[in-house]
Amino acid sequence: MHDINQQLEAKRARARLGGGEKRIAAQHAKGKLTARERIELLLDEGSFEEWDMFVEHRCADFGMAENKVPSDGVVTGYGVINGRLVFVFSQDFTVFGGALSEAHAEKICKIMDQAMKVGAPVIGLNDSGGARIQEGVASLGGYAEVFQRNVTASGVIPQVSVIMGPCAGGAVYSPAMTDFIFMVKDSSYMFVTGPEVVRTVTHEEVTAEDLGGALTHTTKSGVADLAFENDVDALLMVRRLFNYLPLNNREKPPLRRSDDPADRIEMSLDTLVPDNPNKPYDIKELIVKTVDDGEFFELQPDNAQNIVIGFGRMSGQPVGIVANQPLVLAGCLDIRASIKAARFVRFCDAFGIPLITFVDVPGFMPGTAQEYGGIIRHGAKLLYAYAECTVPKITVITRKAYGGAYDVMSSKHLRGDVNFAWPNAEIAVMGPKGAVEIIFREEKNDPARIAAREAEYRAKFANPFIAGARGYIDDVIQPHETRKRICRSLVMLRDKKIDEPWRKHGNIPL
Amino acid sequence: MFKKILIANRGEIACRVIRTARRLGIATVAVHSDADRDARHVALADEAIAIGPAPSRESYLVMDRIIAACKSSGAEALHPGYGFLSENEQFARRVEEEGIVFIGPKHRSIAAMGDKISSKALAAKARVNTIPGHNAPIETADEAVKVARRIGYPVMIKASAGGGGKGLRVAWKDQDAFDGYTSCRNEARASFGDDRVFIEKFIEEPRHIEIQVLGDAHGNCVYLWERECSIQRRHQKVIEEAPSPFLDAKTRRAMGEQAVALAKAVDYQSAGTVEFVVGKDRSFYFLEMNTRLQVEHPVTECITGFDLVEQMIRIAAGEKLAFRQEDIPLDGWAIECRINAEDPFRNFLPSTGRLVKFRPPREGGGVRVDTGVEEGGEIPMYYDSMIAKLIVHGEDRSAAIARMREALNAFVIRGISSNIPFQAALLAHPRFASGQFNTGFIAEEYPEGFTTSAVTHAKPDFLLSLAAAAHRRRRERASGITGQMSGSEVRIPEDFVVVITGRDGRRDYTPVSVLAEGSALQVTVGDHIHRITLAGAANDIVMQGEFDGEPWCAQLERIGLDYRIAHNGATVLARVLTPRAAELLALMPVKAAADLSKFLLSPMPGLLVEIAVAPGQSVVAGEKLAVIEAMKMENTLFASQDGVVEDVMAKKGDNLAVDQVILRFA
Repeated sequence: MHDINQQLEAKRARARLGGGEKRIAAQHAKGKLTARERIELLLDEGSFEEWDMFVEHRCADFGMAENKVPSDGVVTGYGVINGRLVFVFSQDFTVFGGALSEAHAEKICKIMDQAMKVGAPVIGLNDSGGARIQEGVASLGGYAEVFQRNVTASGVIPQVSVIMGPCAGGAVYSPAMTDFIFMVKDSSYMFVTGPEVVRTVTHEEVTAEDLGGALTHTTKSGVADLAFENDVDALLMVRRLFNYLPLNNREKPPLRRSDDPADRIEMSLDTLVPDNPNKPYDIKELIVKTVDDGEFFELQPDNAQNIVIGFGRMSGQPVGIVANQPLVLAGCLDIRASIKAARFVRFCDAFGIPLITFVDVPGFMPGTAQEYGGIIRHGAKLLYAYAECTVPKITVITRKAYGGAYDVMSSKHLRGDVNFAWPNAEIAVMGPKGAVEIIFREEKNDPARIAAREAEYRAKFANPFIAGARGYIDDVIQPHETRKRICRSLVMLRDKKIDEPWRKHGNIPL
Repeated sequence: MFKKILIANRGEIACRVIRTARRLGIATVAVHSDADRDARHVALADEAIAIGPAPSRESYLVMDRIIAACKSSGAEALHPGYGFLSENEQFARRVEEEGIVFIGPKHRSIAAMGDKISSKALAAKARVNTIPGHNAPIETADEAVKVARRIGYPVMIKASAGGGGKGLRVAWKDQDAFDGYTSCRNEARASFGDDRVFIEKFIEEPRHIEIQVLGDAHGNCVYLWERECSIQRRHQKVIEEAPSPFLDAKTRRAMGEQAVALAKAVDYQSAGTVEFVVGKDRSFYFLEMNTRLQVEHPVTECITGFDLVEQMIRIAAGEKLAFRQEDIPLDGWAIECRINAEDPFRNFLPSTGRLVKFRPPREGGGVRVDTGVEEGGEIPMYYDSMIAKLIVHGEDRSAAIARMREALNAFVIRGISSNIPFQAALLAHPRFASGQFNTGFIAEEYPEGFTTSAVTHAKPDFLLSLAAAAHRRRRERASGITGQMSGSEVRIPEDFVVVITGRDGRRDYTPVSVLAEGSALQVTVGDHIHRITLAGAANDIVMQGEFDGEPWCAQLERIGLDYRIAHNGATVLARVLTPRAAELLALMPVKAAADLSKFLLSPMPGLLVEIAVAPGQSVVAGEKLAVIEAMKMENTLFASQDGVVEDVMAKKGDNLAVDQVILRFA
């Protein structure tokens, strides 16, 4: 017995050391933490319960038989974040460069399977050179096993990926299938093919950072949600994100008591929208002044800035917020904005998080770039997402709601539960100027008449009353009472239930 | 008494006049430009009349429109406030001629005091001390040198029509006098259309102390003590107080009597101010007379108990002063801080835009706030940057200083930058507290400008304790989240490490422990045990409580993972971590900020009126690159080093945001 315990301790000590002190020092020198240090930061102190510490790879080729490290390059197990259960895997770059072996993949699959059984989220901390080449196809099989589980778990339990080192080739597709991706600046990158291959095939010179660094993916590709300065910042922010997520799709999102009064009045919102309809304003001011304690967890802040997405709380209850941003491209919907918002809407719907949509949209972005890029299909994604969504949906039109974009943005017709408009809302097919130039085309050379027609059109349509008369909006509210009205609506909608006809799944325009 | 008056001004002073008029039962008429349609003074007045487009020369400076507004509204009298047309003799005269009462001095008095040179002659005649100098315009640079030698260096070269720091040069030797004269004259011609320049003795360690006078139409005139206005930045007053910490009773009386003599000499019938420069030996010399209500008049109101606007209205209505010199109290001490929409960390460049948050401290208990804006309002780029005045009154100077510190700590402005951090730093400065300062104070104490590192907090333990206490409160809130696994619920630890991140990105780690002790927290920093309480909802920026038995008030916001704490002029970014997390953070590299030296960034929001260079052009340090206009000021951006312009990313006429890239160097 004593002997076994001694062996156990020795094995544990060996596993904890990962790739050895030298490699740990190298990892630190790169500004990166080790797999176990990362887990310490992510989870409540002392809550991590490690599984499969003794797993080793089974490869005998290329001298690998003598080269075994317990844990085999990935640390797995479960713990809690603010007391709430979560499963986690953390790849260990100090062991075989974090390369994925069959055994390594099995460890990941094991905690994913367990997470599915008990209904708890999975957080993956990725830091891996890629496939364990010595194992050949066994390693590829391992990836695919993980991919399958990512997909099976999608919409059942929340999945979060943090990219904290290399993540290249097929490996990118596991994070790509998860709900949120965080990256660390300067020390992480994601790409399907690396700079060398790019150089050989396309003769393009590009650095790993430019090709797939944190800034690339949070500003250009939209693959990642947030970029952080270092490992510590990234992991502490994952903890914060976790507070908004339910454990699984059958459970309500976590409540947290708030001292912020549900009926708080914000008089300054009455002057938020400028008198001049062409003047922009910052929709984030409305968001921050509406949610509990002014705390808004924004996602993808640097990608498609013409739409704003993120989480907040209302009276302690998590909500998802989608808002057109008049400061950027006048808040137009374009391909990137549609994709960004559509995926977020679907996440909220999958996990029972109510959606609040603030609308100030002059329409879809015109142009060949958009049409050739398939704005029809991509814009349809957002329309589809809102239309299929059955969580409580509250919409506030703050100013413009023009054309097809009006329909898309959580309109009454797409089963919006509560649709409000501010007094200066304009709900119309298009702006007065454009409308008049079409309706009264024959008068277009008579500026005085056109101006008069425009004024007439503005008086008739540039207000919320026509839409109100048809019941497309439920009420016209004062900007200062926005929070109060949303909080009350959310309470009313708490037990909302919609039964959908049976189908295998819909066919969203991908 | 009048039934209705019109206020020919905007901003805080218009609101200030309306406040008194309302108390006196007088109806008020506001005038406003297009940019001020939703301004506070418009909302406060009984009536409002639009007088033109945003630029003041097309609205607030257009006499015809203002007079027409008086007529159409039936206002019997007009209060001009300060600035704009308040000291315009022609305007005062026209108002009088139209049968409207000008609530201010007669146009003759304005004219007599309006010109620096003639006013000095008049002062000398009235036996008021004047600075040794040459009381005639100087015609050539050689003459300037000759005159300067006769007066004795140092001398000051001033444009007759100058003011507020414009058109001013100091010469310490012949070459200075020669060059200063030439540039002063050019500037005077360009800026004021009046190129008369004169020279006088330059007073060393000068204080700016002014006497408030009140004269009526019945020959009575009194002085309401002095105001110390020596805390100036580039000749713009920043802090004013009354009384002056420098004057003795004898000097005070002598200055007061001379001020009254001068006012009487010009038959002064309103509130006015006689400005003196006071040397280190308490010798004092007349500078100029301001024939209007001053920005800083509230400090005089605090210590005398008189409402100067009320007195102006009563005098204009023909009433006699209801008190004599010996009836005027001097009660306690008052200080005023001017709150400006400007960024002290960017060389005080003006800041415009939406007031996302504007929460002045609560009035009463010796705190007064005069403001023309409110939360959700817009600071237009067309007018003065002063948006509020914070005034405190206490039994003595140290009580007033303590009250002002608290009030500044509680003043929240967001959306635009304000000079509150700078004001708080001044109030925390030992030299300010000592009262030993002169008009060179700010230039001497902040020679490199104002930076966060220019302010060190007197009690760093307080900032650490506040960060730890606020964080613990958030941990308590987190502990209430639903869905926790039984047996693994959130436990709030005692030990934390407070990490303060400096401007260069470097981090300072201080272990602290936090223990609940009733409603208070006991925070141990090193060997010191502190006790802190904190109140204020989680969504309030302003928090207050007690620290080691002393009341405190500070601002705390969560910025990402850090708390930004502002207190007594110091601002720190603090993060509170578990000891293990702090240990791991210490392994993370300190990343240098991005190298922006290759870029010319817009230091403020404004209109790009000129790009002086083109791609490919070589420039030397100090060469003009671009000109940005904001708040009626043209700001020229110069090259900070030699280089070649690679690309110009903005074009003339662009509206620039702060930090927008204008051009890039190769």
